[in-house]
Amino acid sequence: MTTKAQTMAGAADKAASGTSSFNLSLGWWITRISLALIVIAWTIPTFGLFISSLRDKDQLAITGWWTALQTSVGTEQGRTGEADAQVETNGQYVLTGSIFGEGSTKSIRTYGGGFLPSSGTVEYGQGEQPGIRDYAPGELVTLEDGSTFVLESNGTYTYTSPTPFDFDRGRRFFMETQIPPTFTLANYQEIFRAESVDQSFINTFTVVIPATIIPIAIAAFASYAFTWMEFPGRRFLFYIVVALIVVPLQMALIPLLRLYNTVGLSKGYPGIWLAHTGFGLPLAIYLLRNYIGSLPRELIESAKIDGASHFQIFTRLVLPLSVPALASFAIFQFLWVWNDLLVALVFLGKTPDQIVLTSKLRELLGSRADNWEILTSSAFVSIIVPVLVFFALQRYFVRGLLAGSVKGG
Amino acid sequence: MQQILSGVYAIIIGVGAMVLFYFGTNWVLDKAFADEMTADRRMIKSREKIRESIRPWIFVLPALLLLLLYLVYPAIQTFILSFFNATGNEFVGLHNYEWAINDGEFLQSIGNNILWLLIVPFVSTALGLVIAVLADRVRWGTLAKSMIFMPMAISFVGASVIWKFIYDYRPEGQAQIGVLNALVTSLGGQPQAWLTIPFWNNIFLMIILIWIQTGFAMVLMSAALRGVPEETLEAARIDGANEVQIFFNIMIPQIIGTILVVWTTITIVVLKVFDIVLAMTNGQWDTEVLANLMYDWMFRGGGDFGRGSMLATVIMIAVIPIMIWNIRRFRAEEAQR
Amino acid sequence: MKKFAMLALLMAAMLAVFGASAVAAQDDLVFPVGEGPFHWENLEEFQDMGLSGQTLTVFGPWVGNDQVLVESMLAYFEYATGVDVVYAGSDSFEQQIVIDLQAGSPSNVAAFPQPGLAANMAAQGFLAPLGDEMRQFTLDNYAAGQSWVDLGTYAGPDGADDYFGFLYKIDLKSIVWYVPENFEDAGYEVPATMEDLMALSDQIVADGGTPWCIGLGSGDATGWPATDWVEDIMLRTQPPEVYDAWVSNELPFNSPEVVNAIDIFGQFAKNDAWVNGGAVAVASTDFRDSPQGLFTVPPQCYLHRQASFISSFFPEGTELGTDADFFYFPPFAGQDLGNPVLGAGTVWTITDDSDAARAFIKWLTTPLAHEVWMAQSGLLSPHKGVNLDAYANDTLRKQGEILLNATTFRFDGSDLMPGAIGAGAFWTGMVDYVSGASAQDVADEIQAAWDAIKE
Repeated sequence: MTTKAQTMAGAADKAASGTSSFNLSLGWWITRISLALIVIAWTIPTFGLFISSLRDKDQLAITGWWTALQTSVGTEQGRTGEADAQVETNGQYVLTGSIFGEGSTKSIRTYGGGFLPSSGTVEYGQGEQPGIRDYAPGELVTLEDGSTFVLESNGTYTYTSPTPFDFDRGRRFFMETQIPPTFTLANYQEIFRAESVDQSFINTFTVVIPATIIPIAIAAFASYAFTWMEFPGRRFLFYIVVALIVVPLQMALIPLLRLYNTVGLSKGYPGIWLAHTGFGLPLAIYLLRNYIGSLPRELIESAKIDGASHFQIFTRLVLPLSVPALASFAIFQFLWVWNDLLVALVFLGKTPDQIVLTSKLRELLGSRADNWEILTSSAFVSIIVPVLVFFALQRYFVRGLLAGSVKGG
Repeated sequence: MQQILSGVYAIIIGVGAMVLFYFGTNWVLDKAFADEMTADRRMIKSREKIRESIRPWIFVLPALLLLLLYLVYPAIQTFILSFFNATGNEFVGLHNYEWAINDGEFLQSIGNNILWLLIVPFVSTALGLVIAVLADRVRWGTLAKSMIFMPMAISFVGASVIWKFIYDYRPEGQAQIGVLNALVTSLGGQPQAWLTIPFWNNIFLMIILIWIQTGFAMVLMSAALRGVPEETLEAARIDGANEVQIFFNIMIPQIIGTILVVWTTITIVVLKVFDIVLAMTNGQWDTEVLANLMYDWMFRGGGDFGRGSMLATVIMIAVIPIMIWNIRRFRAEEAQR
Repeated sequence: MKKFAMLALLMAAMLAVFGASAVAAQDDLVFPVGEGPFHWENLEEFQDMGLSGQTLTVFGPWVGNDQVLVESMLAYFEYATGVDVVYAGSDSFEQQIVIDLQAGSPSNVAAFPQPGLAANMAAQGFLAPLGDEMRQFTLDNYAAGQSWVDLGTYAGPDGADDYFGFLYKIDLKSIVWYVPENFEDAGYEVPATMEDLMALSDQIVADGGTPWCIGLGSGDATGWPATDWVEDIMLRTQPPEVYDAWVSNELPFNSPEVVNAIDIFGQFAKNDAWVNGGAVAVASTDFRDSPQGLFTVPPQCYLHRQASFISSFFPEGTELGTDADFFYFPPFAGQDLGNPVLGAGTVWTITDDSDAARAFIKWLTTPLAHEVWMAQSGLLSPHKGVNLDAYANDTLRKQGEILLNATTFRFDGSDLMPGAIGAGAFWTGMVDYVSGASAQDVADEIQAAWDAIKE
């Protein structure tokens, strides 16, 4: 609507082309900029998730994903080795080692505090660890007892004393470290290894594929009958189907649980396939009927005259012609089943061989609430397939949406 | 690996059984009521009438049975259960309903649901319309629409993770990793725990659903706008109408049908919204909604099937007007055929 | 159509990748059999039961780090019997177990964190009685056996009491965690009374620090850590009889004794200066994440009151006793109530009877089943037969001693209350309280919810 001002002026006075072209270009810009802003606002959340899932988990926890390309600074404590690791050389007792683990990319900016004496040159405010910025890497610190300590920026330290070291545990100090920007697939390895998200991925597929195919077949037959066959109550039954499209499936849960309990269907894949089939059918029948109903009547009639039965007309003629409509609904149902949480919570268990991605993700939201590296990468795994399907088959999806809603409008 | 195999088997068996059913029953039908013919294939007695009066039922019966079992029966059963106690074995009359209208949480969910119903369909539809109008005027409009449409493919739980990350809160003084708080602090504001601020947190949850649903509204609007005849618009322009007038007086009336469809569709989604609230706040901090409250009563703390069913019935009653509207719309369409 | 084909190909490729990596890791035993202070002979008792090849499903509340721990214990049962044990854990156990039971497809064994919910399920006929032998065992072999028997005894569907649940894995709740080195650096002393603890908190604020880290977040169960606070404070302000009356609702939830306890909790949690991130952070911080503040540089807080199991959530490599330690959540000097201790535990029940399930419950009575978990972290045992040397460290051993020496021991009250209260209204009420509601309003509301389920 940002273009209104522009065209208002343009339409009112076409002759005054000077101002009009100015307004036109302004409107041109406003249209583009506002659309661009909306697109950015819409994509940023997903983009942020994706970037975050590739970041180092330590960085992810302390800085925003938009700083992913900057070096981040953290504060942590360091600890020397224990006294029994000391080596005596030339009458000096030396303790050496590295603060960081193997393969660390961190480096040290400043250090101090803890067992190290204050340099007295740096002021510290509230919320800062006293002493942490006292010394620069490589700077030699002399302690009261005559021992010296030096920490290099790569984390290796040398602690030298004229007298033997005598302490139970390593001595503590503090440091500011920097972590260079790192991108890693470690988060994904972690969720597959420790959280068995891969298993859930397969479980979801096991649910989705039959729960997509079965309703399509059943709905195709039914919608053909509703369109081209005569039987008593046809109209009334179809009204019921239309009414059932909006029934909240919440209300089906308790009675179905009880029913499943008595027939022994619960907590298994067949049970959830049938449930998704039942819940998906009204829309499927409605969509497919709209499409099958739009096929030319003469086509069906002439086939009848040639002596084909309805069964033959359906399988040999109508079904092949309806592939686009079937595809539309398939995408619908695929997305719906893939993304479903409620039905999976109720009809499938939480055992490793049954828990689906959405359910898993919710468990992780609870149990790993602040392990963003786990959450972001699992969420990404759970959305990547539907998003790919969506982008690849968007055309069919849109067609299905239109057929299902604005038909005849 | 084994599971993939068993999944494949299951698919083959399931699909095979279906094919067998349809082909089998039709074959049986054709055999059982075959036309009586002479040896030189001349018709003695046609049984086509009988065959063709039975065949429709073969076509629709599986669907009807499933609908009956999975939607009609449970709906009736839930309605009945709503008059029973927690374990469903003692009739308590209207007691559950009486309890509800005196229960603070129920009233709160009703209030929140109304808020959701007022805001989400309106904002999604309006935004969808605006984007549809804008995107039609730009060469990269299709790409823009794709990006805005994409959240439709993301599950509510996935979206909840995405948005939890946006709303993340760190105490003041620490680096914010949530976009929203980073934005606020960089503008000199105080970081907020967004999801715990009563009333406003409802809005923050709604934004997630709007984010998902706007694409849907946009696609339908875009198609409907294309259906508005260019000549009508031109004629109006020649008559001196400005773009605002054209938009409100010509475009909107032309696509009002679509707007209503979008509106009602999103309304139904809103009534059923459950996953977002469950995953983001679980109804805490005054964000409870009916669908989540129902899940809570059904299964938390031992489960209360009476009250759970009562809440499901309330949701059901709220949908009935839309259901009737849908049927009437459908009948009107049929009449036009 | 090309797109379909490409998509199918892509998915097939993804499936192949995941499928290849989906081979379950073989559960290695954490402690090699025959070594260490364990009752290895217990394994032999289970070897010839002829259960090999059967499957046992276990459902419990543990996920993440805790899941690794419980599975390490289950691995020994698998090893001894040849039973294939499948464990499933859920963060929303309280809801999922109800769904599973109603659906008629529960696991064989379920470990309830709330005896109240287990009682509820027993009344509906979903639990199988464990039998007199198990009851006698608990009576004879658990310290203060009767109290543990009581916790597992509920009315069945016919209204008659029976023994349904075996208590295993006890947690001690009345403890405060701290980092000794941070105390040393700042010159703080471990307080011996509640008055001292509050003075210390003020001292920390005066020194420019923040005393407490409190997090109530827990997914569906958000709010429960606050109920522990209130219970601990109840035991420190009221005699145990009042506590019992409160838990059974003989003392209404909105009576002044309870409101007072909630308000004392508020002095900690609703005090912006006392709690990391201010009062707003309390309800939104996950409880598993809340102790992290003890270990940051500079420390975001100095004190964290949480049950013994929380040590499994300390940063990797944290050594208990040196890197982190605990002290007993002290009583008020002004009240003469002795040294009350609050604890909790899980009730193991048979939800789908089978030979393997019976054998498994019997397995839980062996000292070994306790020792292999004790030797890691997060489990305390009232079993008199276990080898105390098995505790992983002195900290755990010390906790075990507190458990055994308590003048008053009370089980987590919210876990004993009916599910709709103890796993519902009490939790949400505490979130409301921390988010600004008054103690009286919250207590009134919880009492109203309690009245509603009594009807």
